[in-house]
Amino acid sequence: MRWNLTKAENDTAPTPGQQTYEEAIRRNFLFARLEDMVAWGQSNSVWPFNFGLSCCYVEMATAFTSRHDIARFGSEVIRGTPRQADLIVISGTVFRKMAPVVKRLYDQMLEPRWVISMGSCANSGGMYDIYSVVQGVDKFLPVDVYVPGCPPRPEALLQGLMLLQEAIGKERRPLSWVVGEQGVIKPVKTSQRDLLTEERMRIQQLRDPDHV
Amino acid sequence: MYENRQGNVGEIMDSNRAMAKIESGLPQIVRELSKRFGNNHFTFQQTADGIPTLWIPRENLRSVLGFLKNEAKPAYPLLFDLTAMDERLRTHRQGLPESAFTVIYHLLSFGRNEDIRLKVALSEDTFSLPSASAIWPSANWYEREVWDMFGIVFEGHPNLRRIIMPPTWVGHPLRKEHPARATEMEPFSLSDERQEIEQEALRFVPEEWGMRRQSEDSDFLFLNMGPNHPSVHGAFRIALQLDGEEIIDAVPDIGYHHRGAEKMGERQSWHTFIPYTDRVDYLGGSMNNLPYVLAVERLAGIKVPERAQVIRVMIAEFYRLASHLLFYGTYAQDVGQMSPIFYMFIDREKVFDIMESITGARMHSSYFRIGGVALDLPQGWDKRVREFIGYLPSRLDQYDKLVMKNSLIKRRTQGIGSYTSAEAIDWSVTGAGLRATGFEWDYRKARPYSGYENYEFEIPIGNRGDCYDRCAVRVEEMRQSLRIIEQCLEQMPEGPYKADHPLTTPPPKARTLHDIETLIQHFLNVSWGPVVPAGEASVTIEATKGLNGYYLTSDGGTMSYRTRIRTPSFAHLQMIPLMSRGMMIADLIAILASIDFVMADVDR
Amino acid sequence: MTTVHLMIIEARFAADLLPLILYFAAVLAVTGIMLGGAYFLGQRHSAKAADETFESGIVATGDVHIRFSIQFYLLAIFFVIFDMESVFLFAWSVALYESGWPGFIEALIFIGVLLASLVYLWSSGALDWRTRRQRKVDPDYQE
Repeated sequence: MRWNLTKAENDTAPTPGQQTYEEAIRRNFLFARLEDMVAWGQSNSVWPFNFGLSCCYVEMATAFTSRHDIARFGSEVIRGTPRQADLIVISGTVFRKMAPVVKRLYDQMLEPRWVISMGSCANSGGMYDIYSVVQGVDKFLPVDVYVPGCPPRPEALLQGLMLLQEAIGKERRPLSWVVGEQGVIKPVKTSQRDLLTEERMRIQQLRDPDHV
Repeated sequence: MYENRQGNVGEIMDSNRAMAKIESGLPQIVRELSKRFGNNHFTFQQTADGIPTLWIPRENLRSVLGFLKNEAKPAYPLLFDLTAMDERLRTHRQGLPESAFTVIYHLLSFGRNEDIRLKVALSEDTFSLPSASAIWPSANWYEREVWDMFGIVFEGHPNLRRIIMPPTWVGHPLRKEHPARATEMEPFSLSDERQEIEQEALRFVPEEWGMRRQSEDSDFLFLNMGPNHPSVHGAFRIALQLDGEEIIDAVPDIGYHHRGAEKMGERQSWHTFIPYTDRVDYLGGSMNNLPYVLAVERLAGIKVPERAQVIRVMIAEFYRLASHLLFYGTYAQDVGQMSPIFYMFIDREKVFDIMESITGARMHSSYFRIGGVALDLPQGWDKRVREFIGYLPSRLDQYDKLVMKNSLIKRRTQGIGSYTSAEAIDWSVTGAGLRATGFEWDYRKARPYSGYENYEFEIPIGNRGDCYDRCAVRVEEMRQSLRIIEQCLEQMPEGPYKADHPLTTPPPKARTLHDIETLIQHFLNVSWGPVVPAGEASVTIEATKGLNGYYLTSDGGTMSYRTRIRTPSFAHLQMIPLMSRGMMIADLIAILASIDFVMADVDR
Repeated sequence: MTTVHLMIIEARFAADLLPLILYFAAVLAVTGIMLGGAYFLGQRHSAKAADETFESGIVATGDVHIRFSIQFYLLAIFFVIFDMESVFLFAWSVALYESGWPGFIEALIFIGVLLASLVYLWSSGALDWRTRRQRKVDPDYQE
């Protein structure tokens, strides 16, 4: 059996700025305060797009309902059209027939926009290594946060949203297309698994399956 | 001939009538068919599930189907399934006619309460069949799917085009030479030109469907109620031909949710395929495992202990509750009420809490195993279930007042999207959609499986077959599910939770570490999975959305040779144009909400 | 005498005009900031699909510049007629006391004629927006 791995090199996101993240902070202190405020505003009012593909959409919808209540995090309204949405959550398997549709919707979103890839199927194709499934949405979309799970619990999606909000708070975006540095400078994506490994190793008591 | 491991013929935990038929010779219907058509070319095949299976030649296909549907008394009015199989690599085919590809017609008779399976052998040079869409309107999409998946042409079909794969796809996926894995094919990339090509291919062209662009006074507007729409419940597209606000015609377009579950079955072992079944009807959870494990058990001749059967029934009914609650909430939301869905999701959370404490996962629990269930019930489960049973009925009464008695809901759903029982059966509608027309047929009562004959419950039916009745039937089904769960709670027997059969349970670990034979057995069982004897079996259950059937063909290997998943929602969506022509878009939304489909159930 | 009169009128005009001019300027400023800000701030985004219509993620079939069916025109005409009726009634209500009883009776006749036309429209089914199939489905419901 011959199989290939592809890397997401054909990134269609706007080209990142030429500076590194630290340099961007040091320079332009005046604008930095304003950008901080803008980033704070953006991160606390991330409006998701009403988009769902598969089973993860049901857990996403559960995150929207009262017990998990995504509105507490600022995602108050779910927009029906991509032009008014900030966030698209690719919740579910990305099918080959659906890929052009997803791309078109992503193209129709306006800047600033972010992508959360929710669930194993959107992260990497999941358990569906099959002819009709794209092995991960990052084959054609730039992803900001990957939320693993099959399906991830609503709490996991909320954690993903919080990570996204932190990342948005640290982003540097141009204030205007007329002036200033063009291109989005995003912070480096860290793996939560690596950050939390020590804490997880310290856990000694696990719930046993024979008692409720 | 089917022989299981012990060498007994017909060792199946089926209803007694089927066994009697096998023992007494050819079934009744086969004798009727022979009398009508002559005995020359029909070959009878014995299958593990006891369904009469007959191989008929191509020339007789139309007449046999017509006879079975119209003239046989009692008739076989429901086209349950129409599928095909690539038999070129199959080895255990003794006594069967030569066939490269076999097209299989599975019909159901309510009057006789039995099925019949007709098979037509096709060779590489006679690769077409007359279409059955003149006899059953629901055969339309089934034949399109067979064309898409296998390349078999149906002559006389009104519009034979791809239904599940994208229009630009080359090849027929379920053929044995088509690659199964995405990693065996070209890596996927979506350049701008590719994007253009794909979108153009998806553009709706009215002329291909026989639609005119204008009437004499006005032009028609063609609107995509597209794959991304809050009211179509998933990745589903309906192309509408509108005159103002009135729908002149609608063309449903599916395939946006195709995950190749049937092809996946051909390369997963019998055991590792179970999680894939969970995700076929993703609201049904472990209810979807049930027909699959029942079919494997029938093929292998495994008898499930009683405790496992009761646990299975309880978990299945819990998932039916969860699915119906979501249906209820989205139904109210689509028709306009924004609040009820939040209340219903709270109830779903309670169901998921119970599921998580028993099975370990919320939505896709994959709890059932071949021969039983994965884990025993934890201690303290009965307290939680009892609390839930006490909690839900009053909530359902509140929802009645909130939703079902609301005059706006009634105004928008009564009389809308109604069809008669005859129409429903013609279009292969099963489940609550059929019962809402007044036709009293529930698989759990007609052919009880997994111990359903031991429970007391009723089958709710409607009378007008409109959107309101479909919702009312499901609400009442929720109450009946609660009754069944209560009976499971009270009468949970003690005992093993999994069969003690070599194919299901590994040998005891102590002996494994002792003698080499047991170690080999253990190793093979765990790595390859069970080796199921050759044969065919089809098991159907009353799933949340309708009749869900798994038709498994084993070639004596560790993997299934052909896994056919017959899902209810595939047939239900075909009826949308019939129900919505001449109505407004708002009525179409109410109709979609009332059908209760899930796209993974349609496209698998 | 007339020049003084004119100057007093002009002065009063000026006093009345100044807030109006200020208000007009403020409106222009706010609109300018909103539109200009929206134009200049933020990033630009160029994708071919962004300029096309959103139709659930698929390209659209056909155009929206089509011949509509006649019922939309009818509804618009009804609106225009009854709207103009209320315009005339507004005009009459301003001059209510000046026109006195004859005016009132004329207005009543005017309303009566239009009411009769409304009754005719209602009973002939012109206000029934349902499609043919919907009418068959729901015979009990009276418009």
